[in-house]
Amino acid sequence: MDKLIDDEMLVAQFQSGRQNAFDELMKRYKSKIFSYLLRSVRNYEDAEDITIEVFFKAYRALENWQPKAKFSTWLYKIASNLAIDYHRTKARHPVYALEDTEIPEANLVASDLYSDPEKQLEEQERGRIIREAVDQLSPKQKAVFMLSRYEGLQLKEVAETLDMAEGTVKIHLHRAVKRLQTLLRPLWENNEI
Amino acid sequence: MPKCIKSEGQAIDYVYKLLPPAEEEPFEEHLKNCPDCTEAVQSFDTVLQLTDKAQAEVTVPELALQDIEMNVYKRLAATHKQTLFSRVRAYFANFGSVFRWQKTAAASTAVLALITIAILMSNPFQPEPRLQLTEAQSAYARIEQYRQQDIQRNLEEALITHHLRNDAWETESRLHRMKEQAHGTTWTKVADDHLQNLQSGTLNRTQQNSKSRN
Repeated sequence: MDKLIDDEMLVAQFQSGRQNAFDELMKRYKSKIFSYLLRSVRNYEDAEDITIEVFFKAYRALENWQPKAKFSTWLYKIASNLAIDYHRTKARHPVYALEDTEIPEANLVASDLYSDPEKQLEEQERGRIIREAVDQLSPKQKAVFMLSRYEGLQLKEVAETLDMAEGTVKIHLHRAVKRLQTLLRPLWENNEI
Repeated sequence: MPKCIKSEGQAIDYVYKLLPPAEEEPFEEHLKNCPDCTEAVQSFDTVLQLTDKAQAEVTVPELALQDIEMNVYKRLAATHKQTLFSRVRAYFANFGSVFRWQKTAAASTAVLALITIAILMSNPFQPEPRLQLTEAQSAYARIEQYRQQDIQRNLEEALITHHLRNDAWETESRLHRMKEQAHGTTWTKVADDHLQNLQSGTLNRTQQNSKSRN
């Protein structure tokens, strides 16, 4: 399928009965949505389940979808809401598991066998501390930070995604960065990085 | 923390490249003479560099993405089935609560219930919305399409494993996986032939090519 066809046109094709258009939309966004959710929930299985849920919900709602915002913004909105629900549920029913066991495995595979193993471990440990600091943000701060920083969304798009005023998004962003500064400051002050 | 009149928010906006163009240059001028704000900017910049690097290390394995589409359609198909089932179950639940202590009435309502189920299933008063039917049909069609692709992928991978790595165990395991996926289709015969040839040591490229074309 022509990559030049924009998302909204694919949605229109889907709405007029061309089912393949939804496959193309999934192909375009599954990796982005998965990686956004993986960063948010930090567990491959949960990220996969929520990604499926995102596209499931999108499929069912797409028939009546009106292009008030970009399709991608709408998709991130579904993903963000599900991620926030996930974090709330997890906070209510905490599961005590080994922390960060999933993510570094991907890095281990990609690690250079000839590099210094001690340095590698330090790097992994530092990565773990930083990701845990991001996890300590409130669900909304985390969503704002992730969407603006890693998904490349403009503040206006973040606001649309999270149903917030742009000013509120900025407040959450400021709080997120300040909180991270407080949490991570010991790393560079104690020369741990 | 900056002790000057400029807010920390401005330092964050500057690092985040969110300052309006009209405020950017004056803020940069201010930074030249304000150690507090310079320290704040450096500190926020370090925070972003650290988090960017840590998050960039998070990679999505291609394998995890492979089955997303099929699982979405499976979920859609399952929901469609569930809707009908839950409708019938809800219907029975209501009956039970009204008549649970009247044996005679319960027997007669059972007959009524059977008739009602038939009515519910054919749904003459309120036809199924067009979308639901299309959705279910489409979901099943897509599941089948992805299953066919999976079968072919497993066959190709089995043959590649056999020829490039000469790994009989892995080849056999992939062929068995393919056979499982192909249950109820003509592809099971293809898998059986390949397994047989693998065991007899006659699985060669010519056969594979002709089979895979089938």
